[in-house]
Amino acid sequence: MSGEVILGYDGEPGSRAALTTAVAIAGAFKRPLVITFGYAPAPIGGEVADLSKAVQDIGERIAKEAVGQARALDASVETRVELVNDRPADALLRAADEFDALAIVVGSTGRGPIAGTVLGSVTYQVVHRSKRPVVVVPSP
Amino acid sequence: MTTEVAGPPGGAVESKGLKSGALGLASTVVIGVASTAPAYSLAATLGFVTFYVGLKAPAVMWLAFLPMGCIAAAFFYLNRADPDCGTNFSWVTRAMGPRWGWLGGWSSLMADLIVMPSLAFIAAQYTFLLFGWDSLTNNTYCMMAVGLAFILGMTWICFVGIELSARTQFGLLATELAILVLFSTVALAKAFGGTRGFVHPEWSWLTPTGFGGVSSLSSALLIAVFIYWGWDTAASVNEESENANTTPGLAGVLSTFILVAIFVITTIAAQSVRGAGLLTDNPDDVLHATGKIVFGNSGLGTLFFKLLIVAVLTSAAASCQTTILPAARTALSMAIHRAFPPRYGEVDHRYLTPAFSTWVFGVVSSVFFATLMIVARYSHGDVLTWAADAVGLMIAYYYGQTGFACVLYYRKHIFKSVKNFIFVGLLPLVGGLTLAFIFLWGLKDFSDPTWEDPPTSWFGFSPVFWIGLGTLLAGIPLMYWWNSKDHAFFRVKADPIERRPPPEGGVPLPPLVPEGAPR
Repeated sequence: MSGEVILGYDGEPGSRAALTTAVAIAGAFKRPLVITFGYAPAPIGGEVADLSKAVQDIGERIAKEAVGQARALDASVETRVELVNDRPADALLRAADEFDALAIVVGSTGRGPIAGTVLGSVTYQVVHRSKRPVVVVPSP
Repeated sequence: MTTEVAGPPGGAVESKGLKSGALGLASTVVIGVASTAPAYSLAATLGFVTFYVGLKAPAVMWLAFLPMGCIAAAFFYLNRADPDCGTNFSWVTRAMGPRWGWLGGWSSLMADLIVMPSLAFIAAQYTFLLFGWDSLTNNTYCMMAVGLAFILGMTWICFVGIELSARTQFGLLATELAILVLFSTVALAKAFGGTRGFVHPEWSWLTPTGFGGVSSLSSALLIAVFIYWGWDTAASVNEESENANTTPGLAGVLSTFILVAIFVITTIAAQSVRGAGLLTDNPDDVLHATGKIVFGNSGLGTLFFKLLIVAVLTSAAASCQTTILPAARTALSMAIHRAFPPRYGEVDHRYLTPAFSTWVFGVVSSVFFATLMIVARYSHGDVLTWAADAVGLMIAYYYGQTGFACVLYYRKHIFKSVKNFIFVGLLPLVGGLTLAFIFLWGLKDFSDPTWEDPPTSWFGFSPVFWIGLGTLLAGIPLMYWWNSKDHAFFRVKADPIERRPPPEGGVPLPPLVPEGAPR
């Protein structure tokens, strides 16, 4: 299958707004929705495995909650979850390539404008590096 | 990577596997070298090495690598058997049982803790030197303020999970190496050119003889072992590399050569400036004292001199990050395997980092640093000496233990092939024995308060003895306290030897503590 709608979701308020829009798009175009959660701990500092697993557990919980919300919004949309062991922006771009996605949906800010500038904004990276349409949903 | 499927009723959806990100040759080398932080390591230790062995410092630099190289083999092969845990805590537990394993984890945490005052001190020292406020470096409280800001700032950075991109890191490291090479080139050119005051380098600086006694050599090695600490990170990152068959080996060899060369050459260059005396007299700011003479007062010289100081600072920051991250992750691992209270296993939902462990480590090291600064002020001791010597003891303990753990762990495989014999038998054993010797001999020497300069006595022993051995032994009552709260981890048996994968790799091992084990 291809042409999925890829949603970047991390459980923050910004990504909740994106979830609503992503479900609406997936429903309107009759495409499956892929909820993507990406995180890779810094390789510097050794001992990555246990942290990765703990983060993965969090990711699973967040994603499960997202699936529940997506179902509640529109039960006809087929929803799946991808937990990707990679930095968030890379995870989204790679998932989009793998699925040959229709579009990537992201929230406008996950961390607030100032923190985003310092830490690097996932949205900013995705908008500039994606080869596919990107839908940026402003926070409510 | 896992995939979970939640389709509409009846609609089955296939899952796609996405591979995790891989590291290339250059980034693996960068990680290995950056984790060792050459500029900071030299700034923090060179003066003490020359204090013990004088002009023999370059020989100590390459000699110290030998036990570390041996232990790296142990790290590499233990990581292969147990990559899913990948900590020396879990390896030692599997090889020697839970109590040794707990102490192994504790000792690596304590090594991380003890090095923090040294990092904060160097960061504060070189910050003041950068701005030319040299007199402030003698003010305990100014040093303390900047050092504390440095520790807490770096803790915050680790908590928020800020990561420099690979490219930025590459740039910083390249600058650091370039400035060290430039420093060495200019110093050696002046030395060989016969500039007044410079000392002509001699081959005897490199030969492994005439150190002036076992104690001098073992103390110098103890400190030099500290400069190679962190190099093993490259070994554990290796598994994730792009081409798992060739990249890791090549990256390991490359970063090794770069490190040994940098340490040996820079040491030769530094002591050719005015001999070993200048280094021994300025243990707190060796690169500042020598850099000033090497680069001179011209415009370009001042620029290079400032760059050298900046290199020490960025290197200290990098080293601080590669100290806090593993400390927090070790505590997290121990909590997940029920060897530590569960709070240490908490991961922040927003930043996805081990929040509680990170902050506890940051706060405890701040208190430790401040206490040492105040004690040093009133006992006329030197924080940097204490930290460098004591961290050497702790590293010798936990690396040595890892070496023995490797031999025990693979004991049924050692004689199966020549390669096994060398890499999982001989090298780890030699490394373990050497480090055990340095550790015990060091303890013997540090029990004498006059062994160090300036001589300081805490209840009849040198402070290094207390900091090095005391923090290690403090773990034992804590271990028994936690045992009384949650016994699950301490019931773990060393793995039955038949189930262990051979050094060539195999099926991953089951978790240490089964899920839902009773207290």
